[in-house]
Amino acid sequence: MKLEVGNIHVEELAFGNESTLSGHRVEIDKGTLINFIREIDHRITEVKLDIALPGEKTRIMPVKDVVEPRVKVSGKGHIFPGRNAGENDIVGEGRTHVLKGMTVMTTGKVVGFQEGIIDMSGTGAEYTPFSKTLNLVITCEVDDTCNQYDHEQILRTVGLETAREVGKLAKDAEADEVNTYETLPILEQAAQYPDLPKVGYVYMLQSQGLLHDTYLYGVDVKAIVPTLLYPTEVMDGAIFSGNCVSACDKNPSLVHQNSPIIHELYKHHGTKYNFMGVIVTNENVTLADKERSSNWVAKLAVQQGWDAAIVSEEGFGNPDADLVMNCNKLEGAGIKTVLVTDEYAGNQGESQSLADSTPKGDAVVSNGNANMIVELPAMERLIGHDTYVDMIAGGTEGSLRADGSISIEIQAITGATNELGFHNLTARQG
Amino acid sequence: MPVVHIVTVVPISVTVGANRIVPAVAIPHPLGNPKMSQEEEKLMRREMVVKSLETLTTDISEQTVF
Repeated sequence: MKLEVGNIHVEELAFGNESTLSGHRVEIDKGTLINFIREIDHRITEVKLDIALPGEKTRIMPVKDVVEPRVKVSGKGHIFPGRNAGENDIVGEGRTHVLKGMTVMTTGKVVGFQEGIIDMSGTGAEYTPFSKTLNLVITCEVDDTCNQYDHEQILRTVGLETAREVGKLAKDAEADEVNTYETLPILEQAAQYPDLPKVGYVYMLQSQGLLHDTYLYGVDVKAIVPTLLYPTEVMDGAIFSGNCVSACDKNPSLVHQNSPIIHELYKHHGTKYNFMGVIVTNENVTLADKERSSNWVAKLAVQQGWDAAIVSEEGFGNPDADLVMNCNKLEGAGIKTVLVTDEYAGNQGESQSLADSTPKGDAVVSNGNANMIVELPAMERLIGHDTYVDMIAGGTEGSLRADGSISIEIQAITGATNELGFHNLTARQG
Repeated sequence: MPVVHIVTVVPISVTVGANRIVPAVAIPHPLGNPKMSQEEEKLMRREMVVKSLETLTTDISEQTVF
């Protein structure tokens, strides 16, 4: 499976009379796009569009998802497949264009208590990758017939559909750069570099339920047994977020689209190792599910002939047990592992970092301590609602001060300790 | 004083060194099950609690999952 990804670098984002891409400038016809969004679901009561740019004194919260506008130029399928009628083709082949450097972001009244803060300047901006992007922010509210699950589903659909709509602007554009990614069917892939170690990626996805959910081709991943993917499928949106768990270490859909470990593994594919492919697995809430899924991960890795695996976690707490089970069972099958996670080690880093542990986990990358406290200055403009600061994970009573400044754990900042290494934090042994 | 963990993710209790461990139903509802009728759920819960109480008076010589 071979995919060409053409990036169009967006350097300016503004509202205009017509939605256009001209050179590196995107203009959005606000009225037409608001009408498009309102049509997505009859329970939507209010839609507001804003643009948030790097360096502005702007705070966006509570942020639900961040999505990258992409479009299929050639090849089968649709970006974010498996949700709509007639959109069930397998993706990951052909050519895809990306509006690189801009995002579609969703906010509105809180759905789950673990949604994020994005500051476009000040201390908070250093802790989120999305202070550097040009953000088209949708504030969307729903009527009171919606329960939390309806609310989440509507906002999720609004983010994905709007990103696809904006992505269409890139269809006929000339790409600034084109990267080609290819993974062969397994027997051919193994034969291509027979002398290099076979390395695979175990992609753990949040699936705890209660608004901690992720979707694979539209399927709630708590209902899957681990399965195989070509790495390019995720670049076309095969995996997307419905996850309101901790802002710092959940993977927004944009992070899945740009899945950092997959892109990094492609860099040395064919020179240092043979990148064989991806196993996607879940993080469910019963022991039987955890045992079954980790057994399947090890089974599939052996079946694929892997010598080594990189295993990334999403979220924290009980998924640490899934991480440890995956490690123990892969290592037990003779497959070397590197684990990628973050830590909840207390404000000063004095506590146990993960809920579970194993001596076999002797190669671990940490993406930072989510309990670290930061001071966020007051901002001049707020998109969304800041009344939720005290209740979101990472905040406590009194986190939001009367002057608009905030004292909070970085847990509350979108992408701060992203466990795929999408942002810049890490931790070393002291 | 004897202590029992009623816990869903048994391996974590094993890692932290709990002596007596009784497996629970699921992380969001360790002693409940929304798929059961209320009557069945109450029976199940009672069984788990009774079993857990019994472990407190059971002699053990090593970490034990009941």
